[in-house]
Amino acid sequence: MTGIRPILKGFAGRSIAVRLAASSVFWSFVILLIAGLILSTLYRDNTERAFDQRLLVNANTLASNLVAPGALDRDLGPVGDPRFELPLSGWYWQVTRPNARPDEVRSSKSLFGGQLPGLAPAGNEAFGQIRQGYGKAPDERGLRIIERDIDLGEDGRFIIRVAGPADEIETAVRGFLFALTITFALLGLALGFTTLLQIRFGLRPLANLRSALGAIRRGEAERIAGEYPHDIAPLASELNLLLDTNREILERARTQVGNLAHALKTPLSIIVNEAENAPDEVAARVREQAALMRDQVNYYLDRARAAALAGTLGTLTEVEPVINGLARTFAKIYRDKDLAVELAIPKGLRFRGEKQDLEEMAGNLIDNAAKWAAGKVVVVAEIVREGADRSRFRLLIDDDGPGLPEAARTEMIKRGRRLDETKPGSGLGLSIVSDLAALYRGSLRLEASPMGGLRSVLELPGDKA
Amino acid sequence: MRLLVVEDDAILNRQIVTSLEQAGYAVDSASDGEEGQFLGDTEPYDAVILDLGLPKVDGVSVLNAWRREGRKMPVIILTARDRWSDKVQGFDAGADDYVTKPFHMEELLARVRALLRRATGHATSEISCGPVKLDTRSGRVAVDGNPIKLTSHEYRLLSYLMHHTGRIVSRGELTEHLYDQDFDRDSNTIEVFIGRLRKKLGVDIIQTVRGLGYLLDASQTKT
Repeated sequence: MTGIRPILKGFAGRSIAVRLAASSVFWSFVILLIAGLILSTLYRDNTERAFDQRLLVNANTLASNLVAPGALDRDLGPVGDPRFELPLSGWYWQVTRPNARPDEVRSSKSLFGGQLPGLAPAGNEAFGQIRQGYGKAPDERGLRIIERDIDLGEDGRFIIRVAGPADEIETAVRGFLFALTITFALLGLALGFTTLLQIRFGLRPLANLRSALGAIRRGEAERIAGEYPHDIAPLASELNLLLDTNREILERARTQVGNLAHALKTPLSIIVNEAENAPDEVAARVREQAALMRDQVNYYLDRARAAALAGTLGTLTEVEPVINGLARTFAKIYRDKDLAVELAIPKGLRFRGEKQDLEEMAGNLIDNAAKWAAGKVVVVAEIVREGADRSRFRLLIDDDGPGLPEAARTEMIKRGRRLDETKPGSGLGLSIVSDLAALYRGSLRLEASPMGGLRSVLELPGDKA
Repeated sequence: MRLLVVEDDAILNRQIVTSLEQAGYAVDSASDGEEGQFLGDTEPYDAVILDLGLPKVDGVSVLNAWRREGRKMPVIILTARDRWSDKVQGFDAGADDYVTKPFHMEELLARVRALLRRATGHATSEISCGPVKLDTRSGRVAVDGNPIKLTSHEYRLLSYLMHHTGRIVSRGELTEHLYDQDFDRDSNTIEVFIGRLRKKLGVDIIQTVRGLGYLLDASQTKT
């Protein structure tokens, strides 16, 4: 028993299909085994009875011969079956007289002077019974023996014993068992096959549910669609409810953060402007503190927005329109600069996340590049790893500006991070990009651009349709 | 130059209006989207400062409506929404510039100047017409390098004419662009100011085109 528990535990973690298949195999095996045992026992009984009947016919012939007057003076045979005449043929008969010396009266020629073993009367059986059992021939072969008592009155009592080879029964039983095993094996296979079909058919709604969830994870669907049997329909509808609530909470959080931004920044603008017009010492302090407040507000709003997206199920965002929109915007922002923004974004490339966040990350990086560029910014996107679930794409943003030495590049990201903790929002949009990318399990790194300036490499989850 | 400020916060609205007026612009203001949209539809503004989070009609809708109707005046969006997605949306709606709150008034003024200059086709902050030089950044006017002191009304008049050099500007256009809507528009005041300007500049660059208006033309100048 100690061995079963871990096995059951092992199945508990596996799929329902495996559990069903395993239990079905187990119970089919047990039931077929029991059925086989019962059938083979019944068959053996039947075969023995039929064999006994044949022996009994011979015993009855002997008995009637014995009853004939003067039978004891004559030869009792032949009984009819020539095998009784053949020495050691396996077929024997013997007539004995109990409590007499010599007890043997007659025996078949096949016995060749040997003796048949007697069957011990079970308990206090009355004389005249028919007994059957197994014994051993003089040549040690197994025998099926039948004994019949006969009382001839004054001539005394006799025991008629007839035996046949026991392996005839064995052969028949073995043949039956062989056929039975093959039949049951085929039956078992058929059962297993139908069980598999049933599992596949019966569990199809679950498989559908799983693929529906997968579609939501990949952002191809928003809700679980389709009909489900009433066993799991509540599960599907609860999941839908959960997804809706999740989306709603996210939306509300976003709106509230936006409202907060508006509510805080307008008064801040007023304070800053008032202070600028009043050039005394208090005004200077107010200006300084207001600037600090502005930075804090910006930083924590960014963080709150970033946090609001964490843990949401995926949506898909086309990369190309987002970058195109940003390029249009930068063309207007930097129109005095004579800046060329070149794009190479493959169509159908999709970011697994919110549009706003991609805009935020790419916007900060391109803005940074545009600020430093001498005249050209190049944005290239490419798929990094093709795969079912964990594929990524890379956004390369190059400028032809002065660039940064290697030490400063690493320091830039490090500094952004350290300043995040001590003094929020200190200038670099790079820290929020890095934070956002990390939330999406992506990454940001800075390299030297072949165009001479800085290259930002943003890696994010995504795929190509 | 006449500007429109659409901002729902009364204090901030007043601050912006005051700063712009001090810088020499005629300024109208609206405190909600509906009023703002109406003013922008009916008055000939040279530039608009537009908040996005407005009561009644939001800023992007106002801007969209203007552009749909073919109103091309430069628009600066002034908003607390500083995400790139908001900026892309704003620029796509037809904005010409985008300033995020909290902002420095100096920066807003600089953006307004740049936008007005760009709208009238001037590349630098200094506009010149013959011997007359007008620096839109400092608000200074000089003739042959000698600074001239002008009142704010005189400056506005000269600035508008200099932004539109080489084309006839009607008296009606001048009143519309130089005074906010509450101003008592008496066309005689324009003539009075033109007269004073001619006297102060000492050079005859402002021509009167009878029945049509005024023309600033450097080629006709007698120095």
